[in-house]
Amino acid sequence: MSSPKVRDIVLECRNLSHWFGANKVLKDVNLQVGRGQIVALVGPSGCGKSTLLRAILGTHPPRGGEVLMDGVAYRSPARHRGIVYQRYSLFPFLTAEENVAFGLKLDQTSLVYRSFNYFKWRKLRAAHIEQAGRFLDRVGLSAAKGHYPAELSGGMCQRVAIAQALIMRPKLLLLDEPFGALDEATRESLQLMLLQLYEENLQAKKRGEPAPHTILIVTHELNEAIYVSNRVLGLSQYHAGGRDGATIVYDKPAPIYQPNEPKDVSDFIEQKEELLKAVFSPNDIKHHAEFVSFWDDHDRHFATNAF
Amino acid sequence: MIRQPISRNWRIGLGVASMLTLALLYTLLSSSRQAAAKRDQQQVAGKKLQELQTERTLVESRRTQAAELEDDDQRQRQLSRIANDERRISDDIAKFTRLSDAPDKEDLTVPSWKMLYRQGLLRSCTPQGAFQRKEVWITTDFEATIVRLVTALVLGIGASLTLGILMGCFDPLDAFFTPPFALLSKVPATAVLPIFFVLIQINFKLYIAIIVFGMLPSLAQSISATVRKDVPEELIFKAYTLGASQCELIWEVIFKQVLPRVLDAARLQIGPALVLLVAAEWMVAGEGIGYRLRLFYQRTDMTVVFVYVFILGVLGLATDYALIWTRRKLCPWFGD
Repeated sequence: MSSPKVRDIVLECRNLSHWFGANKVLKDVNLQVGRGQIVALVGPSGCGKSTLLRAILGTHPPRGGEVLMDGVAYRSPARHRGIVYQRYSLFPFLTAEENVAFGLKLDQTSLVYRSFNYFKWRKLRAAHIEQAGRFLDRVGLSAAKGHYPAELSGGMCQRVAIAQALIMRPKLLLLDEPFGALDEATRESLQLMLLQLYEENLQAKKRGEPAPHTILIVTHELNEAIYVSNRVLGLSQYHAGGRDGATIVYDKPAPIYQPNEPKDVSDFIEQKEELLKAVFSPNDIKHHAEFVSFWDDHDRHFATNAF
Repeated sequence: MIRQPISRNWRIGLGVASMLTLALLYTLLSSSRQAAAKRDQQQVAGKKLQELQTERTLVESRRTQAAELEDDDQRQRQLSRIANDERRISDDIAKFTRLSDAPDKEDLTVPSWKMLYRQGLLRSCTPQGAFQRKEVWITTDFEATIVRLVTALVLGIGASLTLGILMGCFDPLDAFFTPPFALLSKVPATAVLPIFFVLIQINFKLYIAIIVFGMLPSLAQSISATVRKDVPEELIFKAYTLGASQCELIWEVIFKQVLPRVLDAARLQIGPALVLLVAAEWMVAGEGIGYRLRLFYQRTDMTVVFVYVFILGVLGLATDYALIWTRRKLCPWFGD
């Protein structure tokens, strides 16, 4: 067992800034995400959540500052960072099973290998499909393996998309409003799936292994943010220096739920009020660090903290 | 009500009815043309008969005059000349009476079904020509044209697909190729035919060059637009997060995503390609569909022309369905 580090940081944003012409979107966003955390990012619409997410994914590198993964700066997307979008989350020309196995194929083999080692590739392909099948079983989609995305419901597509990202064992999984277009019941079952992933993190920690899942989820639904995460981040332009762009104005732990534990919405009320005040209220201008206390709490109560 | 669906039987019935109507209209047109041709012939024969009658009376009066001649020699000569004339006149009268009773003229502009079969289909399907060059028109012509068309389509679609995808993926290529393509795609390809005839020797390559030139600019542009429009950036980003290389992204994601639309675009290109090919063959070829159509047009003989047109229609329809079937097989996810 490796000696526990006070902060086991997977992702770090250092003074990340971004602007489009005269439109200043992000200003000095500083952020650290620890391994095993499930972090929810909320913010008023137009505050730059998507811009921040794209910068973290690497597809649109920031104009100022840098993003680091495990201490290494990067400016392009790579296989260590998975993404699940709200729309177009699957490749329409592949079946559910092939979609999940697609990452294994791209990651483990090359075009040249597949063209010139047909028989070896066919064998490997069968193994990939089998592995993908097991992942689909895990997310409860055994029946949908051979179906194309167009034949699946929205909720099923998102499950497949999550399986597609998880099979790569990414260091960081980004979810961009993944459940935004789903009905309430489907939404809840997918939220439970996230809680299960957190549960797996806890079990790994108990065994002394590194937590397998680190997730950053962007959502506009505050209840969801508090329920599925163990840490809530608020990105907002409503702070004293807001004219220069949005930054992190809220960073606090969120209550942790077991997947089978009943959800008590009344628990959320206090934190929700605080979030509304700190992040969403244009009239409440404060210093941006006023509600940012996650890492202080974390470092102080390190012994009892999960991640 | 608008968009009220109809039953399958109704659909088939109406389809059959429309085809029968087409056949009926053709029959009416051709029979009226045939009748008109025969009527004309009858009229001409009637006039001719009248003239012959007058001539006959003249000849008879000449005979009475000749009988009164005193010189034996002269009389004999005259009478035998008159007998010759009478024979000719009675032969002509017999011929024109037969024609006016049973005219046999055929109109070749809108042939009857029987003519289409005998002079059109049978003639195209049996060896024709002098002993030196006996050929079956239908096989020589269609073989020549189809080989040209298929070769050109394979090359043209392959080139357009490669260029179109690369243009859709890489902005510099798009910026480089778009201006000439935009210009060339607006030029009617038939207008460029003389330039091709002058530049390239009249052989197989000429037709290929013409068709490829005709389809490449517009098809490459439409494929590049499809790549930009129909491949959401989310899928591209996602493929990168799954470890795709540049080549894999193009082959495994972009190509597969645009394939059904490319097949549809290619299907729509076959018509214009064939137009160009037939036009070029019409002007310069020594074999092929266009060549045969020109020969028969010059004789105003539409028997073979109608047969060729019909076969072209059927072939076009068959190709269309074959490509739709291919798309369904290759891209089952695309639906209809």
